[in-house]
Amino acid sequence: MGGPGWLSGIFAALMLTVATYCAGRLLAARWWHRRTELDTDGAHIVMGVAMAGMLVPGLRTLPTGAWEGVFAAGAAWFGGQTLRARRGAPLSSWRCLHAAPHLVECAAMLYMFLLLPASVVRASVVRASVVRATAADVASMTAAPNAARFSFLALPMALFLLGYVVWLGDRLTVHPTALALAGQRLEPGPPMSGAAPTPIACPDAGPAPGRRYLAPRCAVLCKIAMGITMGYMLILML
Amino acid sequence: MSESLTLARPVAGERAAGVATLDPRRKLQLALAAAWLFDGILQFQPAMFTKAFPQMLGDSAHGNPAALAAPITWSAGFVGHHLAVLTAVFATIQVVLGLGIAWRPTVRLALGASVAWALGVWWFGEGLGGVLAGTASLADGAPGAVLLYAVLAVLLWPADRDVSAPFVAGRFVGTGVARVLWLAVWGSMAVFAALPAARAPLSRTIADMASGEPTWLAWIDSRLGASLADHGLLAAVLLATMFAIAGVGVFLPRRFARAVIALALVLAVMLWLAQGLGGIFTGASTDPNSAPLLALLALSFWPAAVLPGEGA
Repeated sequence: MGGPGWLSGIFAALMLTVATYCAGRLLAARWWHRRTELDTDGAHIVMGVAMAGMLVPGLRTLPTGAWEGVFAAGAAWFGGQTLRARRGAPLSSWRCLHAAPHLVECAAMLYMFLLLPASVVRASVVRASVVRATAADVASMTAAPNAARFSFLALPMALFLLGYVVWLGDRLTVHPTALALAGQRLEPGPPMSGAAPTPIACPDAGPAPGRRYLAPRCAVLCKIAMGITMGYMLILML
Repeated sequence: MSESLTLARPVAGERAAGVATLDPRRKLQLALAAAWLFDGILQFQPAMFTKAFPQMLGDSAHGNPAALAAPITWSAGFVGHHLAVLTAVFATIQVVLGLGIAWRPTVRLALGASVAWALGVWWFGEGLGGVLAGTASLADGAPGAVLLYAVLAVLLWPADRDVSAPFVAGRFVGTGVARVLWLAVWGSMAVFAALPAARAPLSRTIADMASGEPTWLAWIDSRLGASLADHGLLAAVLLATMFAIAGVGVFLPRRFARAVIALALVLAVMLWLAQGLGGIFTGASTDPNSAPLLALLALSFWPAAVLPGEGA
């Protein structure tokens, strides 16, 4: 990947933190009998490790082919979940409720691994001429790799992920309780001025009472960090 | 922000658990937040950490009055001396602005800060869009892409002074002021399209956009540049006329206003193609240029189906 080494290092550290936290979530959810999105947390563990390896070569773990298989499987899983949701199939308490963004994340990972060799070439070219380059130089430097046939696909994926990040940012305060009550039948509470309305869970629906969602805001923050970092990596591949 | 919250009807599933739905203004605020976030990520590109970035800043001083140009030159030199740190700071500021607008408790703070930041970038980064230098070009986003961020931040401010405004943009500043701002933006573009000083280099600027672009986009820009070179005057008159029509469109009755806003959206798409999609495929672009912001502006002026107070 291109970009200054220290910047890549920061993003890699962020991704490893997200991966570690999501692994901790899975353990904590089992230990404390709390609910979490198993598939999302699992996907973020592998994405975090894979992205750290893409950003900092020293952190590479598996060969590219293996990662491609992992994310192809992930894309198939989240694609299936997206279709299930569209058909109105009942939601499970341990699966993510919005699978489409994770489908895009898996597709983006697959895309980046498939195109990684081209971007590595470009990164080396950019690094080699970092000092005293002009705008025209930079444009000409990046022109050759842009010949990569599918590089334009990075833009819609990056825009989707950044839009997802913004939507999540809005949800951080609008739906704090809703995040924790995911999957339950809800009725709206009274309108509140300047604050999030309070949803009320119907007692006859949803998972067993007492199994609260584990740290919903932290889960959203992980998704935001993942979306920004992946958006950055996709932009580097334009 | 309470005006942005409307309660959902009780329905099963997490979609209903959303509880608060987004009103049109909040959606536009989120689009603006995404634009800032995108700008921030673009600022993190490797090319921004090269000497090309301060050089680009310094180039915007050319042609401006000395009193305005001197600070631009100084700031470009300062950025050049602290390139890595300041570039990272600039990028982070824009990412934070985007996240701040997205997060409801900080939306006012972030919108206010975005106005200040946008005006600063308009001066120190874009040389006031070349308006005073006589180099303003629609292909470069004249009268200034970043200026539109400031305009949108004001128009989408989360407060209601004119609840009967026929479009979102008029809810805070009032219908009259919003219409004047719209007219100023599109009217100035009509002027820039028609002025001989700006018209002549337009075809060359568009053709130059092809450098570093993907083949399909380079093809569009080079053909467009060649066409404008051959039929420059006719194209300028047509463009100026369409921009002028778009400018007065918001003063028309709702039925006609919608058609004109739709025209403005089409113009924005065409302009974005002429701008080479803001050069985002070159790896050296700091923003997607003015056209996406013009589209967002147009959406904020889309006449409501039913005016507030008209019932239903």
